[in-house]
Amino acid sequence: MTEKIKSDPVPEAPEAATAEQVPDWLSGRLRRMFTDVMDEPVPDEFKALLKQLEDKERGP
Amino acid sequence: MAEDRFLDQVTALLPALRAFGRSLCGDPARADDLVQDTVLKAWTNREQFQSGSNLKAWLFTILRNCYYSELRHRKFEVEDPDGVCAAQVAVAPDHDAKLHLRDLSHALLELPSDQREALILVCATGLSYEEAADVCQVAVGTIKSRIARARDRLVDLLGEDAAHINGPLSMLESTSQSGTQSSSQRSSGAT
Repeated sequence: MTEKIKSDPVPEAPEAATAEQVPDWLSGRLRRMFTDVMDEPVPDEFKALLKQLEDKERGP
Repeated sequence: MAEDRFLDQVTALLPALRAFGRSLCGDPARADDLVQDTVLKAWTNREQFQSGSNLKAWLFTILRNCYYSELRHRKFEVEDPDGVCAAQVAVAPDHDAKLHLRDLSHALLELPSDQREALILVCATGLSYEEAADVCQVAVGTIKSRIARARDRLVDLLGEDAAHINGPLSMLESTSQSGTQSSSQRSSGAT
């Protein structure tokens, strides 16, 4: 089971530090490909790992 | 930095880390392993992170180091002769736009990893040239030349027609870019 984690947004075009060397059609597609992965639910194993780290910090 | 604040920020960056990891290695499962290693290393070395600096760039640097360290230990370069990993990078091709994204995913894996990471860091993750140079531990000019080579190679691989596709993705791109500054105005690291 997975749960969506609220993520840091990838900057949209207006704020992105997009390379001026790269045409808009290509940089747009790269961003879309990247955000498609970002939109996937984060697996529970990551939540478990973070919980484990929190517990470790708090001590026994 | 408070510990819970640090963890909260790391948690918020997990999706970006997973996407960056996948763009590096092309394999979702391996990318998630890299991200887990990255989170553990970041936590162990959290005292070294300077509050106020760019946590995303710091985490990307750790993830990248994990990736290349793993490559060295395995003594092999990324290979995907059957296209198995490449096929997993993109979503299922249920319409034209996603087909084009799959083409791009395949083409990206044709690039040398140093060019691929430079292109992704600047064009997809939103890092500046300078931040990408820090992540890759090279000069800003090196990042620019890697991006230029990556761009030329991708245009070769995808074909010039890729710029003139009329489909859902092109419409989406047009919408997201309307009323914005030109990319050359946005880029602070440009020369």
